Amino acid sequence: MHQTALAKFEFLCVCLIIFITAGFSQNAHHDVVIKNATVMTVTHGNIKNGSIYIKDGKIAAVGESVNAPATATVVDAGGKYLTPGIVDCHSHIALDDDVNEATSPVTPQMMMKDAFDYQDKAIYRALAGGVTTSLLLHGSANMIGGQAVVIKHKYGDGRDALLFPDAPRSIKFASGENPKRVYGGRDQLPSTRMGNFEVQREALVQAQDYNREWDAYNAKVKRGDKDASPPKHDLKLDALSDVLNRKLMVQIHCYRADEMLTEMTMAKEFGYNLRAFHHALEAYKIADQLAANNVGIATFADWWGYKNEAWDAIPWNAVMAMRKGVRVAIKSDSEDYTRRLNQEAAKTIRYGGATEEEALKMITLNAAWIIGVDDRVGSIDVGKDADLVIWDGYPLSTTGVPEKVLIDGEVYFDRTRPGLGTTHYKEGE
Amino acid sequence: MQPSAISHQLSASKPALSWHPRPLLLILGLGLLSILSILTSAQETAIALKGGRLLTVSHGVIENGVIVLQNGKITAVGSAGSVNIPANAQVIDATGETIYPGLIDSETQLGLTEISAEATTNDLVEMSDEIMPNMHTADAFHAESALIPVARLNGITNAIVAPDGGDTLPGQDSFIQLAGASAPEMLLIRDLALPLNFTGDERRNKGGFDKRKFPSTRMGLATQLRQAFIDAQDYKTKLTDYDHKKADAVRDKKPEPLAPKRDLKLEALIPYLEGKKTVVLAAESSSDLQTAVSLANEFKLKFVLNHISHSQPVLDYVASLKVPVIVGPIYEAPKEDERYDTVYSLPAQLYKRGVKIVFASYSAHNVRNLPDAAGFATAFGLPPDEALKAITLNAAEVWGVADQLGSLDAGKTANVVVANGDPLDVKTDVKQVYIQGRAIPMTSRQTQLRDEYSK
Repeated sequence: MHQTALAKFEFLCVCLIIFITAGFSQNAHHDVVIKNATVMTVTHGNIKNGSIYIKDGKIAAVGESVNAPATATVVDAGGKYLTPGIVDCHSHIALDDDVNEATSPVTPQMMMKDAFDYQDKAIYRALAGGVTTSLLLHGSANMIGGQAVVIKHKYGDGRDALLFPDAPRSIKFASGENPKRVYGGRDQLPSTRMGNFEVQREALVQAQDYNREWDAYNAKVKRGDKDASPPKHDLKLDALSDVLNRKLMVQIHCYRADEMLTEMTMAKEFGYNLRAFHHALEAYKIADQLAANNVGIATFADWWGYKNEAWDAIPWNAVMAMRKGVRVAIKSDSEDYTRRLNQEAAKTIRYGGATEEEALKMITLNAAWIIGVDDRVGSIDVGKDADLVIWDGYPLSTTGVPEKVLIDGEVYFDRTRPGLGTTHYKEGE
Repeated sequence: MQPSAISHQLSASKPALSWHPRPLLLILGLGLLSILSILTSAQETAIALKGGRLLTVSHGVIENGVIVLQNGKITAVGSAGSVNIPANAQVIDATGETIYPGLIDSETQLGLTEISAEATTNDLVEMSDEIMPNMHTADAFHAESALIPVARLNGITNAIVAPDGGDTLPGQDSFIQLAGASAPEMLLIRDLALPLNFTGDERRNKGGFDKRKFPSTRMGLATQLRQAFIDAQDYKTKLTDYDHKKADAVRDKKPEPLAPKRDLKLEALIPYLEGKKTVVLAAESSSDLQTAVSLANEFKLKFVLNHISHSQPVLDYVASLKVPVIVGPIYEAPKEDERYDTVYSLPAQLYKRGVKIVFASYSAHNVRNLPDAAGFATAFGLPPDEALKAITLNAAEVWGVADQLGSLDAGKTANVVVANGDPLDVKTDVKQVYIQGRAIPMTSRQTQLRDEYSK
């Protein structure tokens, strides 16, 4: 093509892209139909030449054809794959390195939300990899770490817009090498696994005492005792009290099979809601017990050997655990891997023979379950948030990459746009 | 290095053809899996893989092909019907399989580490000085590493073993084959190349001013490096003078002069100063890259480039250097203000400018994922054929072993992979790996754990 003709053509393309994207965003809280997509629903198979009707940021209809008002903006996906947005249930991005309050092995009162840097470019880079929801966890330096924050990757919007509305609360626990190394290195408790578990148990026993004090006080008040004086409020014990009262889901960093068994015993003893083991590289050794206790795992596809407790890691872990009935998610725990979780999930097809839908579920619906938002995101079902990815290429591969990423029905990333490809974030702001 | 020298070194490994099976004791947890026999005997009978899709790399794709492996070499490659299968050959039906040359990883730490966080298992780099060309990865290479079978199960048959970064000159690379009874059999070439790192990470400036030691800046690093090469030049002159004086003395029947004191550090630099061996010049940013290149040119070093992950503004300059680039890792994060795919598209950008590229895993545990990096580059514009070439033939050419490795051609070493699909697809499972014509047992410590817990 002639140089000027080419330039004109490019200009027209850009205009068209802007027009399409504008169509998406202006109608964000109105009606959009995406048609002619290969819809990978995660819950009810693939729909060839499928359509999705998005109304007010939610999926209002999905099927081979959908009933939508004639006024709805129609976007032709050109036969491309359409999946739910990726959910990363173990991330530490956008915390400006404030991941570990490693000054005490028990810090349940820490709120990751207080460190959340909504402008961190890592949110954008993950978005460009198709991630729409992430669980930002405290690190693993402490046996009992802080409380997580759940975000949507609406990069370019204000801070509060990125917080996942009314997400359930989670707290991070950790075990094994990290706490004992951090505190053992300072000649403090814990420096062994015995110390680790004792620190955890001690904190929970204190919380039981605290609960009893409050129960006693509340009983007095109920009886009309005007002289009753309340116990001193303690943020740390308040948080642990919420653990005991099952108001906080517990997410435990744990590698070895024996430690996972000990953690499950302790969860039963104290009655808290152990939602998932994170890393869980030896889950394949005790998959029956994990399934029996309805404890999920958030694991790596094939990381291994980086530390002693990762020596027995095998890439078949995810599928072996899944086949025994464990809810399995593949997570990133990394600013790097969160950009290509689709490739990580695809590895489960190779290692163990996961089906396409099972592989995709590990980075969508199952990850959403671990966070406790599986009724809101993680699959293409009516009533769920319209968090969607249109892919260039096949998503479960090294060669498939997101073309457009939508959150709550709005495009936040579009690969065909110049610059960063963002729609809400303007460079230089 | 001269091709003939490499041929010699490769053929020096020929005793490998008479390997005897030998059990290897591995470090295993819980005593569940105590003994793992991974070694095979020499290729005794010819093998003919028939009916597969041959990705020759050098001369296109052959559907329904035949490849014959004999005495450790590829002896014939072609379409079914065009190849004579030796009468005594074991014929293996490879219908539906994809067959390609063993993959070559252009930078690994295989054999230098076992468990990253356990210092006692690491022999990655000496940090006592920035100038350590007298370190030889071959001296530390641990042939029985449990990481090696894990890597080769995914079709990686050869690799560069390099010291970790951290020093300007951290020591010399080796070129290995991922099977063998002992280190000498696996180390095909000792001291193949010398990494020269100029990324800023070599500075000893961590902590406050009171904790710094020389060289704490790039000025310091460059000065120190320049001094090392000047010292090596002087040392070389001294050696040459001595040789002359010695020859004169012999001629004049006079007592021989005293030999200069050997200096291993400076001695190690001489083949590189003479341009006989390759320096692997690592830089990331445009400015570091240009400083490093001018240092290399100052001493007329023969070099290839490494990383250049943040040199996008000067890719035409890179192309003008007419040297190959070990590009990546492709997963390197872009700079703060850069588009998300700035590094993902770098291999394609270099390829478009005519630069010969190769990929590396820059890893030990994740060497098995080398083809994933190549596949990922294709999503950002690198043609798939070129991506495969970057982990086979291009690598063989860069490391001077293209007469032996890198493609399915008669006469080359029989390092061949049989898989159920495209090598660049993350879902593809490798069915069988042949190294020097021997079918490698498709087991590793990991497959044994899998099998143990699948009972």
